[in-house]
Amino acid sequence: MAGISTHVLNSGTGRPGAGMRIDFSVRDGDGWKLVKTVTTNADGRTDQPVLAPDAARTGQYELLFHVGDYFRRQPGAGNDMPFLDTVPVRFAIFDTQQHYHVPMLCTPWSCSTYRGS
Amino acid sequence: MPSPTLTRRAFLPAGLALGSLAAGGAVAQNAQPALTTAPVSQIDLSPRLTMHAIDTHNGSPGAGMKVQLSRYDGDDLHLLRRFETNKGGRTDEPLLLDAAYQPGRYELLLQLEDYFAARGTPLPKPNFLSQVPVRFRITNPAERIHLAILFTPWGYSYYRGS
Repeated sequence: MAGISTHVLNSGTGRPGAGMRIDFSVRDGDGWKLVKTVTTNADGRTDQPVLAPDAARTGQYELLFHVGDYFRRQPGAGNDMPFLDTVPVRFAIFDTQQHYHVPMLCTPWSCSTYRGS
Repeated sequence: MPSPTLTRRAFLPAGLALGSLAAGGAVAQNAQPALTTAPVSQIDLSPRLTMHAIDTHNGSPGAGMKVQLSRYDGDDLHLLRRFETNKGGRTDEPLLLDAAYQPGRYELLLQLEDYFAARGTPLPKPNFLSQVPVRFRITNPAERIHLAILFTPWGYSYYRGS
Protein backbone atom coordinates (compact mmCIF):
# COMPACT_ATOMS: atom_id res chain seq x y z
CA MET A 1 0.00 0.00 0.00
CA ALA A 2 1.30 3.44 -0.95
CA GLY A 3 0.29 6.80 0.49
CA ILE A 4 0.97 8.39 3.87
CA SER A 5 0.08 7.26 7.37
CA THR A 6 1.13 8.35 10.84
CA HIS A 7 1.09 7.19 14.44
CA VAL A 8 1.44 9.35 17.53
CA LEU A 9 3.00 7.83 20.63
CA ASN A 10 3.28 9.52 24.00
CA SER A 11 6.79 8.40 24.97
CA GLY A 12 6.32 9.74 28.50
CA THR A 13 3.48 7.37 29.31
CA GLY A 14 4.19 4.64 26.78
CA ARG A 15 0.65 5.06 25.43
CA PRO A 16 -0.83 6.02 22.07
CA GLY A 17 -1.16 9.76 21.59
CA ALA A 18 -4.95 9.95 21.26
CA GLY A 19 -6.79 13.11 20.27
CA MET A 20 -3.82 14.98 18.79
CA ARG A 21 -4.61 17.40 15.99
CA ILE A 22 -2.51 17.07 12.84
CA ASP A 23 -2.62 19.46 9.90
CA PHE A 24 -1.59 17.84 6.63
CA SER A 25 -0.28 20.11 3.89
CA VAL A 26 1.34 19.84 0.49
CA ARG A 27 4.04 22.08 -0.88
CA ASP A 28 2.57 24.67 -3.21
CA GLY A 29 5.14 27.00 -4.74
CA ASP A 30 6.92 28.76 -1.88
CA GLY A 31 4.26 27.93 0.67
CA TRP A 32 2.17 25.09 2.00
CA LYS A 33 -1.42 24.33 1.09
CA LEU A 34 -3.54 22.74 3.81
CA VAL A 35 -5.07 19.52 2.56
CA LYS A 36 -6.91 18.47 5.70
CA THR A 37 -6.88 18.44 9.48
CA VAL A 38 -7.19 15.12 11.25
CA THR A 39 -7.29 14.00 14.88
CA THR A 40 -5.67 10.83 16.13
CA ASN A 41 -7.99 8.09 17.37
CA ALA A 42 -7.70 6.06 20.58
CA ASP A 43 -4.83 4.09 19.04
CA GLY A 44 -2.90 7.26 18.13
CA ARG A 45 -3.55 6.64 14.44
CA THR A 46 -5.99 8.19 11.98
CA ASP A 47 -9.17 6.39 10.97
CA GLN A 48 -8.49 7.09 7.31
CA PRO A 49 -5.06 7.22 5.65
CA VAL A 50 -3.54 10.69 5.78
CA LEU A 51 -3.04 10.35 2.04
CA ALA A 52 -4.74 7.55 0.12
CA PRO A 53 -2.62 5.44 -2.26
CA ASP A 54 -4.36 6.68 -5.39
CA ALA A 55 -3.84 10.30 -4.31
CA ALA A 56 -0.07 9.95 -3.85
CA ARG A 57 2.05 12.26 -5.98
CA THR A 58 5.75 12.92 -5.78
CA GLY A 59 6.40 16.13 -3.89
CA GLN A 60 6.93 17.70 -0.52
CA TYR A 61 4.50 17.19 2.33
CA GLU A 62 4.09 18.44 5.87
CA LEU A 63 2.51 16.94 8.94
CA LEU A 64 2.04 19.59 11.62
CA PHE A 65 1.61 17.89 14.98
CA HIS A 66 -0.09 19.94 17.72
CA VAL A 67 2.08 18.49 20.44
CA GLY A 68 1.76 21.40 22.91
CA ASP A 69 -2.05 21.39 22.90
CA TYR A 70 -2.06 17.65 23.33
CA PHE A 71 0.11 17.73 26.45
CA ARG A 72 -1.77 20.70 27.94
CA ARG A 73 -4.88 18.51 27.97
CA GLN A 74 -3.21 15.62 29.77
CA PRO A 75 -3.98 15.01 33.47
CA GLY A 76 -1.69 16.96 35.75
CA ALA A 77 -0.47 19.32 33.03
CA GLY A 78 0.38 22.79 34.28
CA ASN A 79 -0.36 26.05 32.54
CA ASP A 80 3.22 26.61 31.49
CA MET A 81 3.81 27.35 27.85
CA PRO A 82 5.40 24.22 26.47
CA PHE A 83 8.87 23.77 25.04
CA LEU A 84 7.23 22.03 22.08
CA ASP A 85 4.13 23.64 20.64
CA THR A 86 3.47 22.74 17.03
CA VAL A 87 6.01 20.35 15.51
CA PRO A 88 6.28 20.34 11.72
CA VAL A 89 7.62 17.27 9.93
CA ARG A 90 8.43 17.83 6.26
CA PHE A 91 9.26 14.99 3.94
CA ALA A 92 9.12 13.94 0.32
CA ILE A 93 7.24 11.27 -1.51
CA PHE A 94 9.95 10.32 -3.98
CA ASP A 95 8.26 7.18 -5.32
CA THR A 96 4.47 6.95 -5.42
CA GLN A 97 4.59 3.15 -5.36
CA GLN A 98 6.06 3.18 -1.85
CA HIS A 99 4.28 3.76 1.42
CA TYR A 100 5.35 6.51 3.80
CA HIS A 101 4.62 5.87 7.45
CA VAL A 102 5.73 8.86 9.50
CA PRO A 103 5.37 8.36 13.26
CA MET A 104 5.67 11.03 15.94
CA LEU A 105 7.08 10.00 19.29
CA CYS A 106 6.87 12.81 21.79
CA THR A 107 7.03 14.12 25.32
CA PRO A 108 6.64 17.79 26.34
CA TRP A 109 10.44 18.12 25.97
CA SER A 110 11.36 15.90 23.05
CA CYS A 111 10.17 14.46 19.79
CA SER A 112 11.33 11.95 17.25
CA THR A 113 10.22 11.03 13.77
CA TYR A 114 11.46 8.68 11.08
CA ARG A 115 10.32 6.73 8.08
CA GLY A 116 8.57 3.75 9.62
CA SER A 117 6.67 0.89 8.07
CA MET B 1 70.72 0.54 36.59
CA PRO B 2 67.47 1.47 34.85
CA SER B 3 65.09 3.55 36.90
CA PRO B 4 61.64 2.07 37.76
CA THR B 5 60.12 4.37 35.18
CA LEU B 6 62.41 3.07 32.47
CA THR B 7 61.70 -0.53 33.46
CA ARG B 8 57.96 -0.02 33.27
CA ARG B 9 58.23 1.77 29.99
CA ALA B 10 60.72 -0.53 28.38
CA PHE B 11 58.37 -0.90 25.42
CA LEU B 12 58.73 2.76 24.52
CA PRO B 13 60.51 3.43 21.24
CA ALA B 14 64.25 3.33 21.63
CA GLY B 15 64.49 6.74 20.01
CA LEU B 16 62.80 8.41 22.97
CA ALA B 17 65.35 10.60 24.73
CA LEU B 18 66.29 9.37 28.19
CA GLY B 19 66.56 12.94 29.43
CA SER B 20 63.02 13.86 28.57
CA LEU B 21 61.73 10.59 29.95
CA ALA B 22 63.42 11.22 33.27
CA ALA B 23 62.21 14.81 33.40
CA GLY B 24 58.67 14.04 32.38
CA GLY B 25 58.27 10.71 34.13
CA ALA B 26 56.46 12.00 37.21
CA VAL B 27 54.09 14.11 35.13
CA ALA B 28 53.39 11.32 32.69
CA GLN B 29 52.21 9.03 35.48
CA ASN B 30 49.45 11.48 36.49
CA ALA B 31 48.42 13.12 33.23
CA GLN B 32 45.49 11.55 31.41
CA PRO B 33 45.26 13.56 28.23
CA ALA B 34 42.93 11.12 26.51
CA LEU B 35 40.51 11.09 29.42
CA THR B 36 40.03 14.79 29.99
CA THR B 37 37.54 15.55 27.25
CA ALA B 38 34.33 15.20 29.28
CA PRO B 39 31.51 17.45 28.09
CA VAL B 40 31.83 20.95 29.44
CA SER B 41 29.38 21.64 32.24
CA GLN B 42 27.16 24.63 31.58
CA ILE B 43 25.76 24.88 35.09
CA ASP B 44 25.64 28.48 36.34
CA LEU B 45 26.18 29.97 32.89
CA SER B 46 23.94 32.89 31.96
CA PRO B 47 20.74 32.14 29.99
CA ARG B 48 21.51 31.14 26.44
CA LEU B 49 20.50 28.97 23.53
CA THR B 50 23.02 26.38 22.41
CA MET B 51 22.74 23.39 20.12
CA HIS B 52 24.51 20.18 19.24
CA ALA B 53 23.90 18.30 15.99
CA ILE B 54 24.80 14.62 16.05
CA ASP B 55 24.94 12.45 12.94
CA THR B 56 23.76 9.08 14.24
CA HIS B 57 24.03 7.61 10.72
CA ASN B 58 27.83 8.01 10.70
CA GLY B 59 28.32 8.09 14.47
CA SER B 60 29.94 11.50 14.34
CA PRO B 61 29.30 15.13 15.20
CA GLY B 62 27.06 16.82 12.66
CA ALA B 63 29.87 19.07 11.43
CA GLY B 64 29.34 21.62 8.69
CA MET B 65 25.55 21.51 8.81
CA LYS B 66 24.08 24.67 7.31
CA VAL B 67 21.38 26.07 9.59
CA GLN B 68 19.07 29.06 9.70
CA LEU B 69 17.77 30.38 13.01
CA SER B 70 14.48 32.26 12.83
CA ARG B 71 12.00 33.70 15.28
CA TYR B 72 8.25 33.88 14.90
CA ASP B 73 6.55 37.25 15.05
CA GLY B 74 2.92 36.18 15.02
CA ASP B 75 2.66 33.93 11.98
CA ASP B 76 5.67 35.49 10.28
CA LEU B 77 9.06 33.87 10.47
CA HIS B 78 11.98 36.30 10.71
CA LEU B 79 15.47 35.11 9.91
CA LEU B 80 17.92 35.94 12.70
CA ARG B 81 21.08 34.35 11.36
CA ARG B 82 22.60 31.72 9.12
CA PHE B 83 25.45 29.61 10.36
CA GLU B 84 27.30 26.36 9.97
CA THR B 85 28.00 23.91 12.78
CA ASN B 86 31.64 23.53 13.75
CA LYS B 87 33.75 20.34 13.87
CA GLY B 88 32.07 19.34 17.09
CA GLY B 89 28.58 19.73 15.65
CA ARG B 90 28.11 22.78 17.89
CA THR B 91 28.49 26.49 17.29
CA ASP B 92 31.47 28.54 18.37
CA GLU B 93 29.20 31.05 20.11
CA PRO B 94 25.78 30.62 21.74
CA LEU B 95 22.96 31.15 19.24
CA LEU B 96 21.20 33.55 21.59
CA LEU B 97 22.76 35.08 24.64
CA ASP B 98 21.71 37.38 27.48
CA ALA B 99 19.58 40.25 26.06
CA ALA B 100 19.07 38.40 22.77
CA TYR B 101 17.69 35.41 24.66
CA GLN B 102 14.01 36.32 24.62
CA PRO B 103 10.87 34.24 25.13
CA GLY B 104 9.17 33.30 21.90
CA ARG B 105 8.76 30.69 19.23
CA TYR B 106 11.89 29.81 17.30
CA GLU B 107 12.83 27.54 14.46
CA LEU B 108 16.09 26.08 13.26
CA LEU B 109 16.08 24.91 9.65
CA LEU B 110 18.70 22.25 8.96
CA GLN B 111 19.94 21.58 5.42
CA LEU B 112 19.97 17.85 6.00
CA GLU B 113 19.87 16.66 2.39
CA ASP B 114 22.87 18.86 1.49
CA TYR B 115 24.71 17.56 4.55
CA PHE B 116 24.43 13.90 3.50
CA ALA B 117 24.87 14.64 -0.21
CA ALA B 118 28.21 16.29 0.64
CA ARG B 119 29.27 13.04 2.30
CA GLY B 120 28.33 10.91 -0.68
CA THR B 121 25.56 9.12 1.21
CA PRO B 122 23.25 7.36 -1.29
CA LEU B 123 19.91 9.17 -1.19
CA PRO B 124 16.71 9.09 -3.21
CA LYS B 125 15.92 12.19 -5.24
CA PRO B 126 14.43 14.18 -3.65
CA ASN B 127 15.48 12.76 -0.32
CA PHE B 128 12.84 11.76 2.22
CA LEU B 129 14.13 14.61 4.41
CA SER B 130 15.63 17.73 2.89
CA GLN B 131 15.18 20.84 5.02
CA VAL B 132 14.37 19.83 8.57
CA PRO B 133 12.52 22.34 10.79
CA VAL B 134 13.25 22.17 14.50
CA ARG B 135 10.60 24.28 16.20
CA PHE B 136 10.60 25.08 19.90
CA ARG B 137 9.71 27.71 22.46
CA ILE B 138 11.76 29.69 24.90
CA THR B 139 9.38 30.34 27.77
CA ASN B 140 11.55 31.32 30.72
CA PRO B 141 14.41 33.71 29.91
CA ALA B 142 16.04 32.81 33.22
CA GLU B 143 16.62 29.20 32.11
CA ARG B 144 19.07 28.32 29.38
CA ILE B 145 18.15 25.86 26.65
CA HIS B 146 20.45 23.36 25.05
CA LEU B 147 18.98 21.79 21.97
CA ALA B 148 20.25 18.37 21.01
CA ILE B 149 19.44 17.20 17.48
CA LEU B 150 20.13 13.62 16.41
CA PHE B 151 19.63 12.83 12.75
CA THR B 152 20.01 10.31 9.95
CA PRO B 153 18.86 10.54 6.31
CA TRP B 154 15.59 8.87 7.41
CA GLY B 155 14.72 10.38 10.73
CA TYR B 156 15.60 12.78 13.50
CA SER B 157 15.00 13.53 17.10
CA TYR B 158 15.41 16.64 19.16
CA TYR B 159 15.02 17.41 22.80
CA ARG B 160 15.83 19.84 25.54
CA GLY B 161 19.26 18.70 26.56
CA SER B 162 21.65 19.86 29.23
